[in-house]
Amino acid sequence: MIVLENVSKEYKNGVHALRNVNLTIEDAEFVYVIGPTGSGKSTLIKLLDGEEIPSSGRVLVDDVDVGKLKHAKVPIYRRNIGVVFQDFRLLPSMTVFENIAFAMECVGESKVNIRKRVREVLELVSLSDKAKAFPSELSGGQQQRATIGRAIANRPKVLIADEPTGNLDPEKSIEIMELLERINEEEHTTILMVTHDSTIVNKLKKRTIALEEGYIVADIMKGGYLQHD
Amino acid sequence: MIKLIKSIPFHVKSAGKSVIRHLALTISSSSAVMVTLLLMSLFLLIAGNIGAFTKNIEEGLGILAEIDDSVSEQADLDALQQEIEALPHVEAVSFSSKDEQLDRFISNQDKSAQSLYEAYRGEGNPLHAAFDVSVDDGKNLETVQKALEKMEGRIVKADFGGTTTSDLVDGLSTVRIAGGALTLVLSCLAIFLISNTIKTTIYSRSHEIAIMRNVGATNGFIKMPFMIEGMIIGLIGAIIPMLITFFGYRYLYGVTGGKVLSSAMFTLQPIYPFVLQVCGLLLLAGIVVGLVGSFLAVTKYLRWKR
Repeated sequence: MIVLENVSKEYKNGVHALRNVNLTIEDAEFVYVIGPTGSGKSTLIKLLDGEEIPSSGRVLVDDVDVGKLKHAKVPIYRRNIGVVFQDFRLLPSMTVFENIAFAMECVGESKVNIRKRVREVLELVSLSDKAKAFPSELSGGQQQRATIGRAIANRPKVLIADEPTGNLDPEKSIEIMELLERINEEEHTTILMVTHDSTIVNKLKKRTIALEEGYIVADIMKGGYLQHD
Repeated sequence: MIKLIKSIPFHVKSAGKSVIRHLALTISSSSAVMVTLLLMSLFLLIAGNIGAFTKNIEEGLGILAEIDDSVSEQADLDALQQEIEALPHVEAVSFSSKDEQLDRFISNQDKSAQSLYEAYRGEGNPLHAAFDVSVDDGKNLETVQKALEKMEGRIVKADFGGTTTSDLVDGLSTVRIAGGALTLVLSCLAIFLISNTIKTTIYSRSHEIAIMRNVGATNGFIKMPFMIEGMIIGLIGAIIPMLITFFGYRYLYGVTGGKVLSSAMFTLQPIYPFVLQVCGLLLLAGIVVGLVGSFLAVTKYLRWKR
């Protein structure tokens, strides 16, 4: 369960990214977070990921106070949450296979398990033929799928996806959405997906949280992209 | 702990891969290590030899204690010798008879004068028998000399060349200290240079370190391969300086015949074990500095992002 209690975030340069946000996301929920650029979506992800500390309020993920984690404990906390980064963050000196395997090696998985699971994941994100390619040899969409593969490799309880369909054509986007839905249903993974893709939000209706200038302006259970005038 | 030991092969493997995949960085930082270690090797060789030179000179210094002619019985001589040996700082005492003293004196004269002095051999020998007293450290020459001169009636004169010798001893120890200090300073400089190079090398990968934390790698897990990589870089960088030192010193020793200025005073340190010690020191310096440098750098960049 993800709980945000009166969370505000002000950066050193004076930007108020989030203002007094209260939010509860239950286990196994699938939630969209929408909003224009600069509305605080990325900050929300950074707070959940432990990369930023809230200026005030608390961020709780499975009863862990993320803002209070010690520097050394942050990576251990991150093992329970998978993050699909908008800028991919693949390790440039490792192949796709090694990138996905690395996330599992960190946890101390056995070699046999790693090999098995990485093959499985590569199959899921349809990158089996690119296992030995380096990130620089992949297209944007392929890198995005590799990132998704890495995020789900450890079967995290929470999956945070920052624009996971941002670099994909509609056909591939649907594939990824189906994949995310399957993970959500089969593994009961909580999914928080930041997106700009109104087609997806309108088509696959789910709980939608709209951010604007750091405030939650709408939290609609029935889904659908907000209509602006 | 068991987990850590189990993970070592993995870390070694990934460090090896990283060395190959970042070949340009590996080469650039190992060559920095190489250059600094070469410098260090040069200074180590010089300092080591200066140490040996000054030791040689100092060991050649001793006190000549001339014995009063009244002390001529063997028993008395033995007693006196034992008494001198018991003095503090005295290392060895050897007896030189009147005849032997004359031999020494004659050998220092001109060829033409030598036969002239031969006439004094035997009863008419005006020279005193003497003890050659060697001292543990050049600095203590004066103390021992004073102690010897107190043995009035038995020791006529104790001489070690006076203030010039004292100055020489002081000068030599200054040279030795300066050489040691210079080597130390240069070694520190080398260590600083190497760790800085490694730091810049790792800086280009600070992004990677942040990503590793993003996917759940603990700080220790991230540091390990970087530290091993640093050791490998240090090792690679040490190989060429080691070879150059080994063969270079052997060549130098062969050419000079082990003597500088063909003087017995300035004998070079024998090749073994000296050159092996220097090589070992270089290897150790390369590896340790590689390890420490990369450890410091990774620790720094781990803090770069939360």
